[in-house]
Amino acid sequence: MSTEAIAVEKPKRNYNVLFGLTLLALLVLLWILLSVATTSFASANNMANLLRQGSMIAIMAVGQTFVIITGGIDLSVGAVVGFATVVVAMMINAGFPIWLAILVTLLVGVAIGMFHGFGIVKMGLPPFIITLATLTSLRGIGLLMTNGNSININSDTFTAFSRNSFIGIPNLFWMVILVGIPAYIFLHHSRWGRYLFSVGSNAEASRLSGVNVQRTIYMAYTLSGLCAAFVGVLLAARIGIGNPTQAEGWELQAIASSVIGGTSLFGAVGSVHGPLLGAFILATINNGANLLNVNSFWQRIITGALIIIIVYFDGLRRRGK
Amino acid sequence: MISTAQELHPTPVLEPGRTILELRGLEKRYPGTHALKPVDLAFKSGEIHAIVGENGAGKSTLIKLLTGVMPRTSGEIAWEGQPAALATPHEAMALGINAVHQEVVLCRHLTVAANMFLGEENSRFGILQQRAMVRQAQTIIDDLGFDLPAHVTLGDLTIGQQQLIAAARATVRGTKFLIFDEPTAYLTRKEADQLFTLIRRLKDEGVTIIYISHRMEEVFELADRVSVLRDGTLVGTRNIAETNDAELVKMMINRSIEQVYHKEHFTPGAAIIEARSLSGKGFENVSMTVRAGEIVGLYGLIGAGRSEFVTTLYGRHRKSAGQILWEGKEVQVNSEHDAIKLGMALAPESRRDQGLCLNLPVGFNLNLPIYKRISNNLLISSTQEKTQADRQIADLRIKTPTRGALASSLSGGNQQKIVIGKWLAHGAKLFIFDEPTVGVDVGTKAEIYRLFGALLSKGAGIILISSYLPEVYELADTLHVFRRGKLVATHGFHAASHEDILTQALAEKQEKLGGQI
Repeated sequence: MSTEAIAVEKPKRNYNVLFGLTLLALLVLLWILLSVATTSFASANNMANLLRQGSMIAIMAVGQTFVIITGGIDLSVGAVVGFATVVVAMMINAGFPIWLAILVTLLVGVAIGMFHGFGIVKMGLPPFIITLATLTSLRGIGLLMTNGNSININSDTFTAFSRNSFIGIPNLFWMVILVGIPAYIFLHHSRWGRYLFSVGSNAEASRLSGVNVQRTIYMAYTLSGLCAAFVGVLLAARIGIGNPTQAEGWELQAIASSVIGGTSLFGAVGSVHGPLLGAFILATINNGANLLNVNSFWQRIITGALIIIIVYFDGLRRRGK
Repeated sequence: MISTAQELHPTPVLEPGRTILELRGLEKRYPGTHALKPVDLAFKSGEIHAIVGENGAGKSTLIKLLTGVMPRTSGEIAWEGQPAALATPHEAMALGINAVHQEVVLCRHLTVAANMFLGEENSRFGILQQRAMVRQAQTIIDDLGFDLPAHVTLGDLTIGQQQLIAAARATVRGTKFLIFDEPTAYLTRKEADQLFTLIRRLKDEGVTIIYISHRMEEVFELADRVSVLRDGTLVGTRNIAETNDAELVKMMINRSIEQVYHKEHFTPGAAIIEARSLSGKGFENVSMTVRAGEIVGLYGLIGAGRSEFVTTLYGRHRKSAGQILWEGKEVQVNSEHDAIKLGMALAPESRRDQGLCLNLPVGFNLNLPIYKRISNNLLISSTQEKTQADRQIADLRIKTPTRGALASSLSGGNQQKIVIGKWLAHGAKLFIFDEPTVGVDVGTKAEIYRLFGALLSKGAGIILISSYLPEVYELADTLHVFRRGKLVATHGFHAASHEDILTQALAEKQEKLGGQI
């Protein structure tokens, strides 16, 4: 963040930065506590694993945040991930080059996002409904395509990518950076980012100010679909199979990461760094709970409690201003 | 424009009403501002007490303290002689203090009857007595003389009708003290008359009415006494018979009334936009021209087709027949985007719903129409974003701590300046202002009118829509009168009398007008 940008919207940005630092402090605190409490947490192996776990939710959460800033919601992202694993697996197994398989899968994500935009803008459906419909339909289409079976991907080059690291950091985490930096510039330093906020704040005022509201909504859902399809590619590489029932419930984790990261479900409030931190906080809790042999059922309860606490304090802070 | 209310409505004899509510040194401080400096004031039962003052003078703060929405910093409130805490809205209502707000705060999806009895539903064995409630509600509404059905959904009524329902609702709850905050802002004259009848009736029943309005003639028509607030200080209280609006305006703004309607005449230049026999949803066969340097006023009742006409010019709705010419060439305006590209700008009627992104910063709102210009293909120039916003804030004299403050934190008048101001940097040629001064105080009005002059001097044209006749009358070079979707008359500057224009706009029942505007 340049100093100029801080100066432009002083109170808001300061608050954003402060909130981001609080989340970062929480994450670091969790890491320190877990390093002390368990012997295995701080191991290189576990840290790499943690980063891999968190990366995929983090990328989905960024796309999800774009949508939530416009005042919408994208419930389909988990299903898109599962469907994308099927598409990429089938294409690789059919002998297409890997780059083409990935490109087509990403385009499928774009198409799904465009369809959501179409349903909202042209058919007047609520975002909740249209993406809920896609959530269930995509799983069904994927199951039809695979006959309910998993597809084993027969390309080692493809699957090796997710296991490898570059200068000591897992490739999957590099992907977060690859998505995060352009996403940050897009949201905070381009006019399209501004329009996402303005549409989320007041679509009518934006329209009267010359903002193309329809295109902005298309854009938000398309980016969310694209991020989800990208995560589908990463997941396929990580587990080596294409399976439409993968990533069950990930949409809720993506939404939770976004909300923990300070995004307001009422729209017009959000950032890129927040959801990223939110995703890694969730991943750390799950990872730590595993290491501490906490019943995995408890992990879900902790996640729920954390959402309530963070959003409550965030709300207090905002009202207090 | 100066009202002659005293002659038309002899000031009601003040009953020796007992003091119902007394404020002693009532004070409110927010961090950083002293919103209300110690106020001593006593309200009597059965009086209509007007409170006037500019936006930010402390009227809203006073209401919030009286209705228990906010706690006071210090001072005492005595209700019927007994000290009252007034710490919660519930306590205020229990005492019989109610408020009718400018923006209707009711449930738009419920029926009129359901809204009237909201919180006090009539039920038998836990089952709602819906028919009985509709019947009772209808009786109350008929009794008040409002011609409205009780069984329809509230949202299907006009804003003005909803406002009447809100007022009716407040009367059925054992109200002893009723606060009206700018109730006529969205009312037609007929609706306002109905409301005034209701208010006078409540007064006769001994209810104390606090009436807040920016419209001086209403104050003179209704009130027994008037208190003036300025900068959080109670400047004074007058019996209405012993004052006039020049004195009140002077007390409010320390400035004389002639300086409010600031009108500069320019020689009109070339035609900017021309409508030829334009028809569309809500209006038909309207022809008019707006030239550079002139203000074209559109006057008519709400629903007369004025707003529909301009939103069609602006590409919101499709025209069904006729032509639009922009600088002499026929154009198709299919969307707001097209209109803005041609060089039109619209400051809409409702700043909350259509004008502002309230939970975003002031600077953001000001720059919204010009982000394309202050960014290259990819990035926004943060220097330009900053300087543009700061220049607007300084030029428009918007009272805000920084450009980063949220639009919602500003007063109504300053919000309106943003709605208008964001188009200045855009460099539009035709400005459409739809009710630009609703709920705006005299001082801000004067500033907004001065802005009009600045726009005209730069060669822009203005379409000014207003339900407030003095405004269009004093400002418009050409005045078009709308009635029921048709353009029924056109006048030059000051070429017709108020009465003639009103008659043309109404063309029916004139007996209720009573010379008031």
